Amino acid sequence: MKKRLFAIPSLLAAGFLPANAHALPAKPTLDGGVGKAKTLFDIFKLDHLYTLAGHRSHSSHSSHSSHRSSTGGYSYIPPAPSQPAPLYSAPSTSTPTYQAPAIAPTPAPLKMLPGNAYKFKEIVQQVQFALLAFGYYSGEIDGEMNPELRAGLQRMQADYSLKVTGTITPETLTALRIEAR
Amino acid sequence: MIPLRIKVEANADQPFVVRLRSFEADAWEQRTEQLNPFDAALERVGPEGADYVGEGGAIRILGIDPSKVNGDVLLVNPRRGTADRLIRSASHHNTFLVTERCDQVCLMCSQPPKKHHVDLFPHFETAALLSPEGATIGISGGEPTLFKEQLFRFLERVLEARPDLSIHVLTNAQHFEEVDRQAMGRIDQGRVVWGIPLYSRDPGVHDEIVGKAGAHVRVLENLAVMCRLGAQVELRTVLMRPNADGLPDLARFIVSALPFIRTWAVMQMENIGFGRMNWKALFYDSSKAFDVVGRSIDLVRSRGIDALLYNFPLCTVPEPYRHLAPATISDWKRSYREECDGCSLKARCGGFFEWHPANHGYSNLGAIQ
Repeated sequence: MKKRLFAIPSLLAAGFLPANAHALPAKPTLDGGVGKAKTLFDIFKLDHLYTLAGHRSHSSHSSHSSHRSSTGGYSYIPPAPSQPAPLYSAPSTSTPTYQAPAIAPTPAPLKMLPGNAYKFKEIVQQVQFALLAFGYYSGEIDGEMNPELRAGLQRMQADYSLKVTGTITPETLTALRIEAR
Repeated sequence: MIPLRIKVEANADQPFVVRLRSFEADAWEQRTEQLNPFDAALERVGPEGADYVGEGGAIRILGIDPSKVNGDVLLVNPRRGTADRLIRSASHHNTFLVTERCDQVCLMCSQPPKKHHVDLFPHFETAALLSPEGATIGISGGEPTLFKEQLFRFLERVLEARPDLSIHVLTNAQHFEEVDRQAMGRIDQGRVVWGIPLYSRDPGVHDEIVGKAGAHVRVLENLAVMCRLGAQVELRTVLMRPNADGLPDLARFIVSALPFIRTWAVMQMENIGFGRMNWKALFYDSSKAFDVVGRSIDLVRSRGIDALLYNFPLCTVPEPYRHLAPATISDWKRSYREECDGCSLKARCGGFFEWHPANHGYSNLGAIQ
């Protein structure tokens, strides 16, 4: 109720019409007809979630939108149909044809675990240190994946008969005695 | 600079959307999440590239480490062997460029229009639905509302399917009609911000800047439509020589006629496209003559309307106004200069556009201790 008391004077202050105007809330009826047409009152009493959302994920400034300067992020121009298709040289491992799935109505969002990136960096650092100790890596211990680390992982995995992926697999972590927690 | 386009190898006829999952990051998490049909999971990484396999088949990513693209949504063009990173999961600056067509030719346009148009809305919709939780997606162009039917449908469907997303649309507001109110009413306006440019109170000046007669009248009519819809408007004014002196007038107009807007953004120019061509004639050195800007935003703020400075390096803004200048230059086109070394404000400053000229035009600039 408080909100309502607040909202009406602010409408008036914003220059909207006085008491008898169509901005007043419609009386609720039992047949559910109210929901069909939004009155100005309904429109302006909306809580704008966006502002809250903008603040939620942000530390220093007032909105997400403020992050944008005017240029678009990228542009995508498919080849003109008249162009001859460039010869596709298959990757050395045979690649099956990519068949895009039919567009699903609601693909699930990717859940971002808070602090995940930081945790990952820590793990990478431990892997770098372990590979350094075993003589498979001689680069920086910076928590960043790099080609040398990838190559070191592959050699280590091959030497210890693990699945050679060049990635940090749970198996590799176990072999290096790194507890991922 | 962060690459927006990467090299891929994929065997397919048509462009497709795929989300990369480099499960390394989750190696210690239980892999309980079901893979989405659009997901491709990292299989192996070697000197020849990173192989991902999904329901649709296999693709190979080259030239970038999988840890940098975990959760990214790509639009793959298999014929060209490239992929556009539609969504970079680690970034807050994801923008879909929905068309390159535009009906205005602004003097300082950073992305001059082209005739060419390819409808990619279905791909954009898929990509938006695959974005990380709580993301904000930008829609830009060209002029997105030239394809307003597709745009409204996109907004309605995406916001309905993903209650956690917000969308920011840049539009010149020339194409809304009274009849669109129904379609626009179905969009959850609480999670859309419409960025609309208005350069002057004087129709002549505005029309001259946007290169279209009658544009000013049309914007004002459509701002009224937006008001009746309860839409959230971010009014954007690029500061330039032709309109700088009129800024206080525009501010008075805003507080009297447009008090319903959510934000007024006064913006510095971007030195690219027409903006680069016309730089000498247009660039306004706000570091030397901030007075008009300061007075204008003071007035607007005094009436309870938010006013902000976009794309202003912090050192060019007088200290009392710095808290109004968020770091707006997108991560992928941001750079800092030699002068920035040792600046105490660097961490919260948006810096400069990557392509800002060495002879930058600001007479007051330099590290702040």
